[in-house]
Amino acid sequence: MTTCHSIDALITPFVDGELGDTDRRAVEDHLRRCAPCHSREAAERTIRGLIQARRSPLQSMQAPAALRTACAALGRGVLSPQASGLNQSTRPATNDRRLSTDDRQLAIARGAGWRARLTPYALAASLVVIVGGAFLYQATDTSAQLLAAELTADHVKCFALNRALGTHQAPAAVESSLASGFGWRAHLPDDPKSAGLELVGARPCLYGKGKIAHIMYQQNGNPVSLFMLPDTAHTEQLVEVLGHEAKIWCVGNRTFVLVARQTKPEVERLASFVQAGLQ
Amino acid sequence: MAARQGLHAVSPAFEAEALASLDSLYRAALRLTRVPADAEDLVQDTYLKAFRSAHQFEPGTNLRAWLFTILHNTARNRARDRARDTVQVDSEAVDQASAYAPATGRPETPETLLLRDTLAPELQAAIDALPEAFRQAVWLRDVEEFSYAEIAEMLAIPIGTVMSRISRGRRALYDALRDSSSQAPVPSRQSA
Repeated sequence: MTTCHSIDALITPFVDGELGDTDRRAVEDHLRRCAPCHSREAAERTIRGLIQARRSPLQSMQAPAALRTACAALGRGVLSPQASGLNQSTRPATNDRRLSTDDRQLAIARGAGWRARLTPYALAASLVVIVGGAFLYQATDTSAQLLAAELTADHVKCFALNRALGTHQAPAAVESSLASGFGWRAHLPDDPKSAGLELVGARPCLYGKGKIAHIMYQQNGNPVSLFMLPDTAHTEQLVEVLGHEAKIWCVGNRTFVLVARQTKPEVERLASFVQAGLQ
Repeated sequence: MAARQGLHAVSPAFEAEALASLDSLYRAALRLTRVPADAEDLVQDTYLKAFRSAHQFEPGTNLRAWLFTILHNTARNRARDRARDTVQVDSEAVDQASAYAPATGRPETPETLLLRDTLAPELQAAIDALPEAFRQAVWLRDVEEFSYAEIAEMLAIPIGTVMSRISRGRRALYDALRDSSSQAPVPSRQSA
Protein backbone atom coordinates (compact mmCIF):
# COMPACT_ATOMS: atom_id res chain seq x y z
CA MET A 1 0.00 0.00 0.00
CA THR A 2 1.57 3.26 -1.05
CA THR A 3 1.30 6.43 0.99
CA CYS A 4 1.78 10.03 -0.07
CA HIS A 5 4.90 10.13 2.03
CA SER A 6 6.46 7.14 0.37
CA ILE A 7 5.47 8.37 -3.07
CA ASP A 8 6.77 11.89 -2.61
CA ALA A 9 10.43 10.92 -2.87
CA LEU A 10 9.69 9.02 -6.06
CA ILE A 11 7.99 11.85 -7.88
CA THR A 12 11.18 13.51 -9.09
CA PRO A 13 12.77 10.34 -10.49
CA PHE A 14 9.35 9.47 -11.90
CA VAL A 15 9.22 12.77 -13.78
CA ASP A 16 12.81 12.22 -14.92
CA GLY A 17 12.05 8.72 -16.14
CA GLU A 18 14.56 7.25 -13.75
CA LEU A 19 12.33 4.71 -11.98
CA GLY A 20 12.26 0.99 -12.55
CA ASP A 21 9.02 -0.66 -13.67
CA THR A 22 7.80 -1.60 -10.21
CA ASP A 23 8.23 1.83 -8.69
CA ARG A 24 6.93 3.52 -11.78
CA ARG A 25 3.70 1.51 -11.69
CA ALA A 26 3.31 2.19 -7.98
CA VAL A 27 3.61 5.92 -8.60
CA GLU A 28 1.19 5.81 -11.52
CA ASP A 29 -1.35 3.94 -9.42
CA HIS A 30 -1.02 6.40 -6.59
CA LEU A 31 -1.25 9.46 -8.79
CA ARG A 32 -4.51 8.24 -10.26
CA ARG A 33 -5.98 8.09 -6.78
CA CYS A 34 -4.37 11.12 -5.12
CA ALA A 35 -5.02 14.63 -6.37
CA PRO A 36 -2.41 16.42 -4.19
CA CYS A 37 0.37 14.08 -5.30
CA HIS A 38 -0.80 14.33 -8.87
CA SER A 39 -0.62 18.08 -8.52
CA ARG A 40 2.96 17.92 -7.29
CA GLU A 41 3.92 15.65 -10.12
CA ALA A 42 2.28 17.95 -12.64
CA ALA A 43 4.14 20.94 -11.20
CA GLU A 44 7.51 19.23 -11.52
CA ARG A 45 6.75 17.90 -14.96
CA THR A 46 5.62 21.33 -16.11
CA ILE A 47 8.77 23.02 -14.88
CA ARG A 48 11.01 20.36 -16.37
CA GLY A 49 9.18 20.66 -19.66
CA LEU A 50 9.34 24.42 -19.54
CA ILE A 51 13.08 24.49 -18.90
CA GLN A 52 13.72 21.96 -21.61
CA ALA A 53 11.63 23.96 -24.03
CA ARG A 54 13.59 27.10 -23.18
CA ARG A 55 16.97 25.43 -22.96
CA SER A 56 18.35 27.04 -26.03
CA PRO A 57 17.89 30.66 -24.91
CA LEU A 58 18.89 29.70 -21.38
CA GLN A 59 22.19 28.49 -22.80
CA SER A 60 22.72 31.41 -25.11
CA MET A 61 25.34 33.13 -22.98
CA GLN A 62 28.78 32.31 -24.26
CA ALA A 63 32.17 32.54 -22.69
CA PRO A 64 34.16 35.65 -23.65
CA ALA A 65 36.47 35.16 -26.61
CA ALA A 66 39.50 36.01 -24.52
CA LEU A 67 38.62 33.31 -22.01
CA ARG A 68 38.21 30.79 -24.79
CA THR A 69 41.60 31.62 -26.17
CA ALA A 70 43.21 31.54 -22.76
CA CYS A 71 41.74 28.15 -21.94
CA ALA A 72 42.76 26.80 -25.31
CA ALA A 73 46.24 28.06 -24.60
CA LEU A 74 46.30 26.19 -21.33
CA GLY A 75 45.79 22.93 -23.19
CA ARG A 76 47.48 23.49 -26.47
CA GLY A 77 49.99 25.87 -25.10
CA VAL A 78 51.53 23.41 -22.77
CA LEU A 79 52.02 20.83 -25.46
CA SER A 80 55.45 20.28 -26.81
CA PRO A 81 56.18 22.08 -30.06
CA GLN A 82 56.13 18.86 -32.09
CA ALA A 83 52.57 18.28 -31.02
CA SER A 84 51.38 21.55 -32.43
CA GLY A 85 50.66 19.94 -35.78
CA LEU A 86 47.39 18.30 -34.92
CA ASN A 87 46.62 14.76 -35.76
CA GLN A 88 42.97 15.12 -36.58
CA SER A 89 42.39 11.41 -36.81
CA THR A 90 42.95 11.05 -33.09
CA ARG A 91 39.87 13.05 -32.26
CA PRO A 92 37.17 10.68 -31.07
CA ALA A 93 33.54 11.06 -31.89
CA THR A 94 31.79 12.96 -29.17
CA ASN A 95 28.20 12.15 -28.54
CA ASP A 96 27.10 15.27 -26.78
CA ARG A 97 28.46 17.87 -29.08
CA ARG A 98 26.41 21.01 -29.26
CA LEU A 99 26.18 22.54 -32.62
CA SER A 100 27.54 26.00 -32.96
CA THR A 101 29.91 26.01 -30.05
CA ASP A 102 31.48 22.73 -30.91
CA ASP A 103 31.83 23.59 -34.52
CA ARG A 104 33.73 26.64 -33.51
CA GLN A 105 35.82 24.62 -31.15
CA LEU A 106 36.56 22.17 -33.87
CA ALA A 107 37.59 24.94 -36.13
CA ILE A 108 39.95 26.18 -33.50
CA ALA A 109 41.28 22.77 -32.74
CA ARG A 110 41.73 21.74 -36.31
CA GLY A 111 42.80 24.96 -37.79
CA ALA A 112 45.54 26.04 -36.21
CA GLY A 113 48.74 26.24 -34.48
CA TRP A 114 49.74 28.56 -31.81
CA ARG A 115 49.95 31.72 -33.74
CA ALA A 116 46.52 31.36 -35.30
CA ARG A 117 44.98 30.53 -31.97
CA LEU A 118 46.56 33.48 -30.30
CA THR A 119 45.58 35.90 -33.00
CA PRO A 120 42.14 36.67 -31.57
CA TYR A 121 43.73 36.72 -28.21
CA ALA A 122 46.15 39.38 -29.21
CA LEU A 123 42.96 41.11 -30.24
CA ALA A 124 43.42 44.80 -30.57
CA ALA A 125 47.01 44.13 -31.16
CA SER A 126 48.24 44.71 -27.72
CA LEU A 127 51.69 44.05 -26.56
CA VAL A 128 51.99 43.10 -23.00
CA VAL A 129 55.14 43.02 -21.04
CA ILE A 130 54.81 41.08 -17.87
CA VAL A 131 57.28 41.42 -15.12
CA GLY A 132 56.90 38.63 -12.69
CA GLY A 133 58.61 38.03 -9.42
CA ALA A 134 58.00 34.53 -8.19
CA PHE A 135 58.34 33.66 -4.55
CA LEU A 136 58.87 30.18 -3.23
CA TYR A 137 59.65 29.46 -6.78
CA GLN A 138 61.00 25.99 -7.29
CA ALA A 139 58.93 23.99 -9.68
CA THR A 140 60.60 24.91 -12.90
CA ASP A 141 64.19 25.66 -12.07
CA THR A 142 65.57 22.64 -13.86
CA SER A 143 64.50 23.22 -17.40
CA ALA A 144 64.68 26.42 -19.36
CA GLN A 145 62.21 25.04 -21.89
CA LEU A 146 59.72 24.12 -19.21
CA LEU A 147 60.24 27.41 -17.45
CA ALA A 148 59.59 29.32 -20.64
CA ALA A 149 56.53 27.22 -21.50
CA GLU A 150 54.90 27.64 -18.13
CA LEU A 151 55.62 31.33 -18.02
CA THR A 152 54.20 31.67 -21.51
CA ALA A 153 51.02 29.90 -20.44
CA ASP A 154 50.86 32.15 -17.42
CA HIS A 155 51.37 35.21 -19.55
CA VAL A 156 48.53 34.16 -21.83
CA LYS A 157 46.25 33.62 -18.88
CA CYS A 158 47.08 36.91 -17.24
CA PHE A 159 46.73 38.82 -20.45
CA ALA A 160 43.24 37.42 -20.90
CA LEU A 161 42.34 38.28 -17.33
CA ASN A 162 43.69 41.74 -17.75
CA ARG A 163 41.52 42.24 -20.75
CA ALA A 164 38.54 41.16 -18.71
CA LEU A 165 39.44 43.40 -15.81
CA GLY A 166 40.52 46.35 -17.90
CA THR A 167 43.45 47.13 -15.66
CA HIS A 168 45.35 50.32 -16.31
CA GLN A 169 47.88 51.60 -13.80
CA ALA A 170 50.53 54.28 -13.60
CA PRO A 171 54.21 53.35 -13.15
CA ALA A 172 54.24 54.54 -9.55
CA ALA A 173 51.29 52.30 -8.70
CA VAL A 174 52.96 49.31 -10.31
CA GLU A 175 56.25 49.95 -8.52
CA SER A 176 54.36 50.35 -5.28
CA SER A 177 52.58 47.03 -5.75
CA LEU A 178 55.88 45.31 -6.50
CA ALA A 179 57.36 46.72 -3.32
CA SER A 180 54.40 45.92 -1.11
CA GLY A 181 53.46 42.62 -2.65
CA PHE A 182 56.89 41.23 -3.36
CA GLY A 183 59.40 43.25 -1.40
CA TRP A 184 61.03 44.13 -4.69
CA ARG A 185 61.88 47.81 -4.94
CA ALA A 186 61.96 47.96 -8.68
CA HIS A 187 62.18 51.02 -10.84
CA LEU A 188 60.54 50.42 -14.18
CA PRO A 189 62.39 51.43 -17.31
CA ASP A 190 62.09 55.13 -18.00
CA ASP A 191 60.63 56.26 -21.29
CA PRO A 192 59.09 52.94 -22.33
CA LYS A 193 57.73 54.67 -25.42
CA SER A 194 61.23 54.68 -26.84
CA ALA A 195 60.83 50.92 -27.15
CA GLY A 196 57.24 51.27 -28.30
CA LEU A 197 55.93 50.19 -24.93
CA GLU A 198 53.02 51.56 -22.97
CA LEU A 199 52.41 50.56 -19.37
CA VAL A 200 49.09 48.86 -18.72
CA GLY A 201 49.34 47.72 -15.14
CA ALA A 202 50.29 45.03 -12.69
CA ARG A 203 48.42 41.99 -11.53
CA PRO A 204 49.38 39.47 -8.86
CA CYS A 205 48.68 35.84 -9.60
CA LEU A 206 49.70 32.38 -8.55
CA TYR A 207 52.56 30.55 -10.12
CA GLY A 208 54.10 27.28 -9.03
CA LYS A 209 53.85 27.32 -5.30
CA GLY A 210 54.23 31.06 -4.97
CA LYS A 211 52.92 34.37 -6.14
CA ILE A 212 54.02 36.35 -9.15
CA ALA A 213 53.52 39.95 -9.97
CA HIS A 214 52.85 40.80 -13.57
CA ILE A 215 53.50 44.20 -15.00
CA MET A 216 51.88 44.67 -18.33
CA TYR A 217 52.73 46.97 -21.18
CA GLN A 218 51.28 47.40 -24.60
CA GLN A 219 53.19 47.78 -27.80
CA ASN A 220 52.19 47.72 -31.44
CA GLY A 221 50.33 44.50 -31.31
CA ASN A 222 52.44 41.62 -30.13
CA PRO A 223 52.48 40.21 -26.64
CA VAL A 224 55.63 40.13 -24.59
CA SER A 225 56.17 38.95 -21.04
CA LEU A 226 58.95 39.71 -18.64
CA PHE A 227 59.11 37.59 -15.52
CA MET A 228 61.38 38.06 -12.54
CA LEU A 229 62.19 35.01 -10.44
CA PRO A 230 64.02 35.68 -7.19
CA ASP A 231 66.71 33.37 -5.88
CA THR A 232 66.90 31.50 -9.13
CA ALA A 233 69.73 31.07 -11.59
CA HIS A 234 69.58 30.22 -15.26
CA THR A 235 72.09 30.57 -18.00
CA GLU A 236 71.39 33.28 -20.51
CA GLN A 237 69.63 31.92 -23.56
CA LEU A 238 66.86 32.44 -26.07
CA VAL A 239 64.28 29.63 -26.17
CA GLU A 240 61.59 29.12 -28.76
CA VAL A 241 58.45 27.80 -27.15
CA LEU A 242 54.76 27.64 -28.00
CA GLY A 243 55.03 30.14 -30.78
CA HIS A 244 56.82 32.56 -28.50
CA GLU A 245 60.42 33.50 -27.96
CA ALA A 246 61.62 33.49 -24.37
CA LYS A 247 64.74 35.40 -23.46
CA ILE A 248 66.24 34.31 -20.15
CA TRP A 249 68.91 36.15 -18.22
CA CYS A 250 70.07 36.71 -14.68
CA VAL A 251 70.91 39.76 -12.64
CA GLY A 252 72.31 38.93 -9.24
CA ASN A 253 70.13 36.31 -7.65
CA ARG A 254 67.19 37.08 -9.91
CA THR A 255 66.26 35.42 -13.15
CA PHE A 256 64.40 37.43 -15.75
CA VAL A 257 62.43 35.90 -18.58
CA LEU A 258 61.03 37.98 -21.39
CA VAL A 259 58.42 36.17 -23.46
CA ALA A 260 57.13 37.54 -26.74
CA ARG A 261 55.71 36.50 -30.06
CA GLN A 262 57.99 38.88 -31.88
CA THR A 263 60.95 37.91 -33.95
CA LYS A 264 64.11 36.83 -32.21
CA PRO A 265 65.91 40.15 -32.87
CA GLU A 266 62.95 42.13 -31.56
CA VAL A 267 62.75 40.01 -28.43
CA GLU A 268 66.47 40.49 -27.89
CA ARG A 269 65.98 44.22 -28.37
CA LEU A 270 63.11 44.38 -25.88
CA ALA A 271 65.08 42.30 -23.42
CA SER A 272 68.03 44.61 -23.75
CA PHE A 273 65.82 47.64 -23.23
CA VAL A 274 64.26 46.19 -20.09
CA GLN A 275 67.59 44.91 -18.85
CA ALA A 276 69.12 48.35 -19.23
CA GLY A 277 66.21 50.29 -17.86
CA LEU A 278 64.97 48.13 -15.00
CA GLN A 279 66.58 49.00 -11.70
CA MET B 1 60.62 13.43 -20.61
CA ALA B 2 60.23 15.00 -17.23
CA ALA B 3 59.64 18.29 -18.93
CA ARG B 4 56.76 16.86 -20.95
CA GLN B 5 55.10 15.56 -17.83
CA GLY B 6 55.51 18.89 -16.13
CA LEU B 7 53.91 20.54 -19.10
CA HIS B 8 50.71 18.55 -18.51
CA ALA B 9 50.48 17.82 -22.18
CA VAL B 10 47.08 16.72 -23.41
CA SER B 11 46.10 15.18 -26.69
CA PRO B 12 44.46 17.45 -29.25
CA ALA B 13 41.40 15.22 -29.08
CA PHE B 14 41.10 15.59 -25.34
CA GLU B 15 41.67 19.29 -25.52
CA ALA B 16 39.09 19.83 -28.25
CA GLU B 17 36.48 17.81 -26.43
CA ALA B 18 37.21 19.57 -23.16
CA LEU B 19 36.97 22.99 -24.75
CA ALA B 20 33.61 22.09 -26.26
CA SER B 21 32.22 22.49 -22.74
CA LEU B 22 33.66 25.96 -22.25
CA ASP B 23 30.40 27.87 -22.65
CA SER B 24 28.43 25.68 -20.28
CA LEU B 25 31.28 25.71 -17.76
CA TYR B 26 31.39 29.48 -17.96
CA ARG B 27 27.65 29.71 -17.35
CA ALA B 28 28.03 27.37 -14.39
CA ALA B 29 30.89 29.48 -13.05
CA LEU B 30 28.80 32.62 -13.44
CA ARG B 31 25.98 31.04 -11.47
CA LEU B 32 28.46 30.10 -8.75
CA THR B 33 30.40 33.34 -8.53
CA ARG B 34 27.92 35.84 -10.02
CA VAL B 35 30.94 37.95 -11.00
CA PRO B 36 32.22 37.65 -14.59
CA ALA B 37 35.89 38.14 -13.69
CA ASP B 38 35.67 35.54 -10.93
CA ALA B 39 33.84 33.20 -13.27
CA GLU B 40 36.57 33.50 -15.87
CA ASP B 41 39.22 32.83 -13.29
CA LEU B 42 37.33 29.80 -12.03
CA VAL B 43 36.96 28.40 -15.54
CA GLN B 44 40.65 28.84 -16.25
CA ASP B 45 41.57 27.11 -13.04
CA THR B 46 39.22 24.31 -14.00
CA TYR B 47 40.89 23.81 -17.36
CA LEU B 48 44.34 24.07 -15.84
CA LYS B 49 43.49 21.30 -13.39
CA ALA B 50 41.76 19.25 -16.05
CA PHE B 51 44.73 19.40 -18.39
CA ARG B 52 47.13 18.65 -15.58
CA SER B 53 45.17 15.61 -14.48
CA ALA B 54 43.98 14.51 -17.91
CA HIS B 55 45.68 11.16 -17.34
CA GLN B 56 43.22 10.53 -14.51
CA PHE B 57 40.21 10.87 -16.78
CA GLU B 58 38.71 7.52 -17.72
CA PRO B 59 38.08 7.38 -21.45
CA GLY B 60 34.53 6.46 -22.25
CA THR B 61 33.10 8.29 -19.26
CA ASN B 62 31.47 11.70 -19.48
CA LEU B 63 34.19 14.29 -19.92
CA ARG B 64 31.72 17.15 -19.53
CA ALA B 65 30.57 15.79 -16.16
CA TRP B 66 34.18 15.36 -15.12
CA LEU B 67 34.90 18.99 -15.95
CA PHE B 68 31.82 20.15 -14.06
CA THR B 69 32.99 18.16 -11.05
CA ILE B 70 36.38 19.86 -11.17
CA LEU B 71 34.70 23.24 -11.49
CA HIS B 72 32.44 22.69 -8.51
CA ASN B 73 35.26 21.23 -6.43
CA THR B 74 37.43 24.21 -7.25
CA ALA B 75 34.65 26.61 -6.33
CA ARG B 76 34.10 24.80 -3.03
CA ASN B 77 37.81 24.85 -2.23
CA ARG B 78 37.97 28.55 -2.96
CA ALA B 79 35.03 29.20 -0.71
CA ARG B 80 36.68 27.13 1.99
CA ASP B 81 39.94 28.98 1.50
CA ARG B 82 38.11 32.20 2.08
CA ALA B 83 36.85 30.69 5.32
CA ARG B 84 33.29 31.26 4.38
CA ASP B 85 31.76 28.20 2.90
CA THR B 86 28.74 30.02 1.62
CA VAL B 87 27.58 27.30 -0.71
CA GLN B 88 27.37 24.60 1.89
CA VAL B 89 25.92 26.73 4.64
CA ASP B 90 23.42 28.22 2.28
CA SER B 91 22.42 24.80 1.03
CA GLU B 92 21.78 23.39 4.44
CA ALA B 93 19.90 26.40 5.66
CA VAL B 94 17.79 26.28 2.56
CA ASP B 95 17.10 22.59 2.97
CA GLN B 96 15.85 23.21 6.46
CA ALA B 97 13.88 26.28 5.60
CA SER B 98 12.21 24.61 2.69
CA ALA B 99 11.30 21.48 4.56
CA TYR B 100 8.31 23.45 5.75
CA ALA B 101 7.17 24.35 2.29
CA PRO B 102 3.59 23.23 2.08
CA ALA B 103 2.42 21.17 -0.80
CA THR B 104 0.21 22.97 -3.20
CA GLY B 105 -2.75 20.94 -4.18
CA ARG B 106 -4.80 22.68 -6.72
CA PRO B 107 -5.65 21.49 -10.21
CA GLU B 108 -2.88 22.36 -12.59
CA THR B 109 -4.33 22.80 -16.00
CA PRO B 110 -4.71 26.61 -16.08
CA GLU B 111 -1.33 27.13 -14.42
CA THR B 112 0.24 24.72 -16.80
CA LEU B 113 -0.99 26.81 -19.67
CA LEU B 114 0.40 29.94 -18.06
CA LEU B 115 3.73 28.29 -17.50
CA ARG B 116 3.83 27.24 -21.09
CA ASP B 117 3.68 30.91 -21.95
CA THR B 118 6.57 31.79 -19.68
CA LEU B 119 9.39 33.30 -21.69
CA ALA B 120 13.04 32.47 -21.24
CA PRO B 121 14.03 35.75 -19.51
CA GLU B 122 11.29 35.32 -16.96
CA LEU B 123 12.28 31.72 -16.40
CA GLN B 124 15.94 32.69 -16.13
CA ALA B 125 15.07 35.34 -13.54
CA ALA B 126 13.07 32.83 -11.53
CA ILE B 127 15.92 30.32 -11.65
CA ASP B 128 18.38 33.02 -10.60
CA ALA B 129 16.15 33.88 -7.68
CA LEU B 130 16.21 30.31 -6.38
CA PRO B 131 18.35 29.57 -3.35
CA GLU B 132 21.82 28.45 -4.38
CA ALA B 133 21.41 24.75 -3.62
CA PHE B 134 18.20 24.38 -5.60
CA ARG B 135 19.43 26.51 -8.46
CA GLN B 136 22.50 24.34 -8.99
CA ALA B 137 20.57 21.09 -8.79
CA VAL B 138 17.78 22.12 -11.14
CA TRP B 139 20.16 23.68 -13.62
CA LEU B 140 22.51 20.72 -13.72
CA ARG B 141 19.61 18.34 -14.23
CA ASP B 142 17.18 20.18 -16.47
CA VAL B 143 19.47 22.44 -18.47
CA GLU B 144 22.73 20.53 -18.53
CA GLU B 145 21.01 17.14 -18.33
CA PHE B 146 23.45 15.40 -16.03
CA SER B 147 22.48 12.21 -14.26
CA TYR B 148 21.67 12.16 -10.56
CA ALA B 149 24.94 10.34 -9.89
CA GLU B 150 26.96 12.89 -11.84
CA ILE B 151 25.31 15.78 -10.01
CA ALA B 152 25.88 14.05 -6.68
CA GLU B 153 29.57 13.86 -7.42
CA MET B 154 29.76 17.48 -8.57
CA LEU B 155 27.99 18.85 -5.54
CA ALA B 156 29.50 16.29 -3.15
CA ILE B 157 26.10 15.32 -1.77
CA PRO B 158 24.17 12.03 -1.69
CA ILE B 159 21.93 11.12 -4.61
CA GLY B 160 18.87 11.33 -2.38
CA THR B 161 19.77 14.92 -1.58
CA VAL B 162 20.22 15.65 -5.27
CA MET B 163 16.71 14.43 -5.98
CA SER B 164 15.17 16.33 -3.11
CA ARG B 165 16.91 19.55 -4.18
CA ILE B 166 15.74 19.11 -7.75
CA SER B 167 12.26 18.44 -6.46
CA ARG B 168 12.15 21.46 -4.20
CA GLY B 169 13.78 23.65 -6.79
CA ARG B 170 11.22 22.73 -9.43
CA ARG B 171 8.32 23.23 -7.06
CA ALA B 172 9.68 26.59 -5.92
CA LEU B 173 10.03 27.61 -9.56
CA TYR B 174 6.50 26.50 -10.23
CA ASP B 175 5.15 28.51 -7.32
CA ALA B 176 7.15 31.59 -8.25
CA LEU B 177 6.14 31.53 -11.91
CA ARG B 178 2.54 30.80 -11.13
CA ASP B 179 2.44 33.62 -8.64
CA SER B 180 4.11 36.06 -10.97
CA SER B 181 1.81 35.10 -13.80
CA SER B 182 -1.14 35.89 -11.56
CA GLN B 183 0.37 39.29 -10.71
CA ALA B 184 1.07 38.31 -7.14
CA PRO B 185 4.32 39.26 -5.44
CA VAL B 186 7.05 36.77 -6.21
CA PRO B 187 8.43 35.16 -3.09
CA SER B 188 12.16 34.65 -3.29
CA ARG B 189 11.89 31.68 -1.06
CA GLN B 190 9.15 29.41 0.09
CA SER B 191 9.10 29.14 3.82
CA ALA B 192 6.55 28.49 6.45
